Amino acid sequence: MLSINAFNTYRIPQQLKYFKPGNLQEALEILESVEGAKVIAGGTDLVVDLKYRRVEARALVDISRLSELRFIKLGDGYVEIGSAATIREIAESGVVKEKLPLLAEAAESLGSWQIRNLATVGGNLCTASPAADTAPPLLAYDAELELVSSRGVRIVPLGKFFTGPKKTVIERAEILRSVRVPLTPRTYGWCFIKLRRTSFDIAKVSVAVLLRVEGGFVADVRIALGSVAPTPVRARSAEKLAIGLKFEDAVRVASERVAGDISPIDDARSTAWYRLQTSKVLVKDAMWRAYERFLGAGAWR
Amino acid sequence: MYNFVGRSFPRHDGFAKASGLAEFTFDIEVPGMLYGRILKSPYAFARVGRIDTSSAEALGAVALTPDDVPDKLFNPRLLSVEEDTYKDWRVLAKVPRYVGEPIAAVAAPTEDTAQRALEALRVEFEEIYDPILDPFKATSPTARPIHERILRGGRWVEVRNNIAAELRYSEGYLETEEERSSVVVERKFHVPRRYHTQLEPKGAVCKLEPDGTLVVWTTTQTIHNTKILISQVYGIPMNRIDVRKVPLGGGFGSSIHTNLVTLIAVGLCLKSRKPVKLVLTREEDMVHDHVSFEFYMRVRAGATKDGSITFGELENVIDVGAHQVQAYPILGTSLGWFISLYKWRAVRYYGRSVYTNKVPSCAIRGYGAPEITWAVETVVDELAEELKIDPLEFRLANYRGKGEIFWGQGPTVKSVIRSDGVPELMARGSELIGWKRRESPKVKTGRFRRGIGVGRGFHTSGAGGPLSGAIIDYTGAIVKVNEDGSVDYITALQDHGGGTLDAHAKIIAEELKIPPSRVRIVWSGTSTTVYDVCTHASRGVFAGGEAARRAALEVKKKVLEYASRILDAVSPEALRIEYDRELDDAAIFVEGAPDKRITLSEVARTAWQRNWGSISASVSYRATVAPPSFTVYFVEVEVDTETGVVRPIKVVAGADVGTVISPELAAGQIHGGFAIGWSWAVGDEVSYLENGVPAHRMSLADYKLPTSMDLPSDDDFVVVFASTYEPYGPFGAKGLGEAASNPVIAAVANAIYNAIGVRLYEIPMTPERILRAIKGGD
Ligand SMILES: Cc1cc2nc3c(=O)[nH]c(=O)nc-3n(C[C@H](O)[C@H](O)[C@H](O)COP(=O)(O)OP(=O)(O)OC[C@H]3O[C@@H](n4cnc5c(N)ncnc54)[C@H](O)[C@@H]3O)c2cc1C
Repeated sequence: MLSINAFNTYRIPQQLKYFKPGNLQEALEILESVEGAKVIAGGTDLVVDLKYRRVEARALVDISRLSELRFIKLGDGYVEIGSAATIREIAESGVVKEKLPLLAEAAESLGSWQIRNLATVGGNLCTASPAADTAPPLLAYDAELELVSSRGVRIVPLGKFFTGPKKTVIERAEILRSVRVPLTPRTYGWCFIKLRRTSFDIAKVSVAVLLRVEGGFVADVRIALGSVAPTPVRARSAEKLAIGLKFEDAVRVASERVAGDISPIDDARSTAWYRLQTSKVLVKDAMWRAYERFLGAGAWR
Repeated sequence: MYNFVGRSFPRHDGFAKASGLAEFTFDIEVPGMLYGRILKSPYAFARVGRIDTSSAEALGAVALTPDDVPDKLFNPRLLSVEEDTYKDWRVLAKVPRYVGEPIAAVAAPTEDTAQRALEALRVEFEEIYDPILDPFKATSPTARPIHERILRGGRWVEVRNNIAAELRYSEGYLETEEERSSVVVERKFHVPRRYHTQLEPKGAVCKLEPDGTLVVWTTTQTIHNTKILISQVYGIPMNRIDVRKVPLGGGFGSSIHTNLVTLIAVGLCLKSRKPVKLVLTREEDMVHDHVSFEFYMRVRAGATKDGSITFGELENVIDVGAHQVQAYPILGTSLGWFISLYKWRAVRYYGRSVYTNKVPSCAIRGYGAPEITWAVETVVDELAEELKIDPLEFRLANYRGKGEIFWGQGPTVKSVIRSDGVPELMARGSELIGWKRRESPKVKTGRFRRGIGVGRGFHTSGAGGPLSGAIIDYTGAIVKVNEDGSVDYITALQDHGGGTLDAHAKIIAEELKIPPSRVRIVWSGTSTTVYDVCTHASRGVFAGGEAARRAALEVKKKVLEYASRILDAVSPEALRIEYDRELDDAAIFVEGAPDKRITLSEVARTAWQRNWGSISASVSYRATVAPPSFTVYFVEVEVDTETGVVRPIKVVAGADVGTVISPELAAGQIHGGFAIGWSWAVGDEVSYLENGVPAHRMSLADYKLPTSMDLPSDDDFVVVFASTYEPYGPFGAKGLGEAASNPVIAAVANAIYNAIGVRLYEIPMTPERILRAIKGGD
């Protein structure tokens, strides 16, 4: 822990150079050539980290205004969201609300109005907090990330992006360009639930569910959770066991078996015990809500 | 009836605050000013050896060490009389006794240099001791003494077993009363430390005038006591210190005493001979500067079959942390609240304040009343349940109301209750909440369960009384009519942001029959005001408002006297005064003689032009009573029995504050009082790791307060004012600030019990704790 006398949240103690590149290429070049350069988007994580001296940087490369990164696009069979799209833009986007309602619901619950104005989806994912609110829905949607560097482009499934708390596969001079979500022609019910201490808080537990039911049986269910493991996780074993069951049975089984997919710990916000108890409840609640929406699909518009 | 009292007007500082123009301590800039930083102890209990300041000084900073400040013990709070003031603080500690205790300080021309200089200070610790964090282990005879001897007034006292202060009291025959009782309930309660979460972190700006006078702007609830303390510590004559009043971003008790930053800033200013600004960061403020008291209470009480209360016993162990702010007085007020709640026929009390190696605790809104009220109102609910008597009837039959003695602030502050709205608030509140539909928790099923609870509380209006007790309580006001009839109101009394001074302006306006906007609230300092003790104990409107009214009354007498000269009346008694809506001024007139009419402005102008002299008055006022303001809150909650989450459904908040001076601001106090009470009941707490470092909740990201989204909407929050009149208050008014929060924990706790049928005796009642209680532990 930082010595208490080095802790002064009125100041960022380092001298920082600030770059505002005109395009992505330039941003990548600066990142490559300037020692200690770090990408800054909304700064809602990074500035806090700099003040707390959890992160050291010599220079900041501001990508928040790059139009190449700040977009939401409906393509043929996919939605693509630029990494610098703000959480508010995502929450309010017609495309997201229609095609990715689970993401819109999660985005609405992130931070406060002021935070959502600044915070970006790229920052949310690259910070790699186990509690990142956009992660569970994007995991459920099987999103892919496009990472670019001066050496080229690579595509990483979101499920392989996080490697631990605050850790990802991203390399120093890489920038997350966009998040790409494949669309399915089928209808899904959806639900994101975030359990928190007050209505303006990071999640104690969050659950995202996508659900499709056929003839009373679960045809597909995708369950992702936040804040209950070192990274946001898919509850793969619960999903596997639930698919094919009658809906009511699937809820019971998934809610019981989710325990095997998570590994919660005690922290400032909650205890491992409580997280385990409520993960079960939230999976159940989210599946029911998703089911209701599935039955009323089309009506939600 | 009244022209202005009881009506809403724009706040005098509303625009400035809403637009960001208001200048708080943090905003004050003085040319040539240095920025200060405090070196805080990283250890909870240690002994400092050498402090090497050379590297810090090489950066251009001024360094302040314990050797640079007077080696004088003091208590930062000066409300008690000298012989009851326990002194164990120093400006900078050679033996730091909690993590964060100031050891040294620096000041430099820029904030960054100050920070670098701070990090350049080298401190050798001669010894590092194991911290004592548990108040029960602290009193073991083998525990290391946190303090060996301290001063009580001017007298040295030995500290034994880390007991900071003790108070015992008994009256009546407890054993006999217990024998008479058909039910007895005994419970233990725990209240943790909580942070005040006032909007503004503590800070101070100091400068020296060319004549050597020290000017200080600081976050304080009392400018005069700040002046006195600086004088006592630094030996400066009081007329060479001018503590200026600046807007305060809330206090809630955290600045009843003079914040340590103020004394350190003075030290830096005196050493550097330059202006100095020293402000804590939010994190320093919440982690190292102040917290509320932690209570361990055991309550035992009994009642007869027919529902009359027999005896009450309270054992009250308070963890005060490393230094005394109110370690002794809080024992007395706790007893006072306990005694004044019900008509115990016998009482036994044992209170003990214990030192631990944690941040010193101080008063938080209610000064022990919310905590004591929670414990007592829980036990009272349980007694009623066992006796199968309606909890409302049980309370009405046993509470201390009109004609009874009320202990305003402990054993030396007693007065007779003359206004009491409890029966009215019980009746109206129970109707509005739907008390009749309240069911036993036993019949409730399903996942989401609702419950209704009641809590009855009160708070004193100030700490005045007929005899001069252990607490200092008097105030003053200056009212001055300018030569155009506009009025200046000059007072030392601080407004924490609740609009206290707007109430005063309205009271002055009512007395003089001029619009409140004609009364300017002057930002003044200790050099230009008469003494006011402190804005605390919900005394702002009751005591300060009455002083303002009395000053206005004297001014009115002069106005009438001058008017009688102008109007040729036989005497001022022949004149009437009324508010003239058309002229928007006071009109002074002879009834039945239409040509004998003059405005207050004309009187003021004439007095000037004819050399009659200034129309002004300076008043010093001591209230001879401290009447209780009663509050009766009904709360309905919903508990999710699968997650333990509690949601407020409806609140009916009843308050007996006598005449309501400002209805909207008063309702605001009640909403705010509920919000903070709700956070105590179900929200957050400050806790510590084994090494004495505060655990987890190092910032507002993790010390959570309810937002408006977590509280009932306006439609589900009903405020009820009783129709009472307090004969000693200005226009019949009493206090409110603390009464507004005092019954909240009790009402919420009783509602949670009514929902789930399980009682929790520890706050906050977090979802985790509720879920464990429902599941029967794990
Ligand atoms: C008061 C408050 C409340 C909050 N509440 C929530 C909440 O409820 N839920 C939640 O999930 N989060 C919350 N957060 C955290 C934060 O707001 C989000 O994680 C946000 O999405 C971060 O985005 P940003 O653009 O501000 O990131 P930044 O702070 O700009 O960057 C974060 C990190 O990501 C890196 N980075 C950013 N963009 C890229 C990119 N395109 N390529 C490579 N690296 C990149 C940066 O270098 C940095 O390391 C809160 C924060 C605050 C201060």
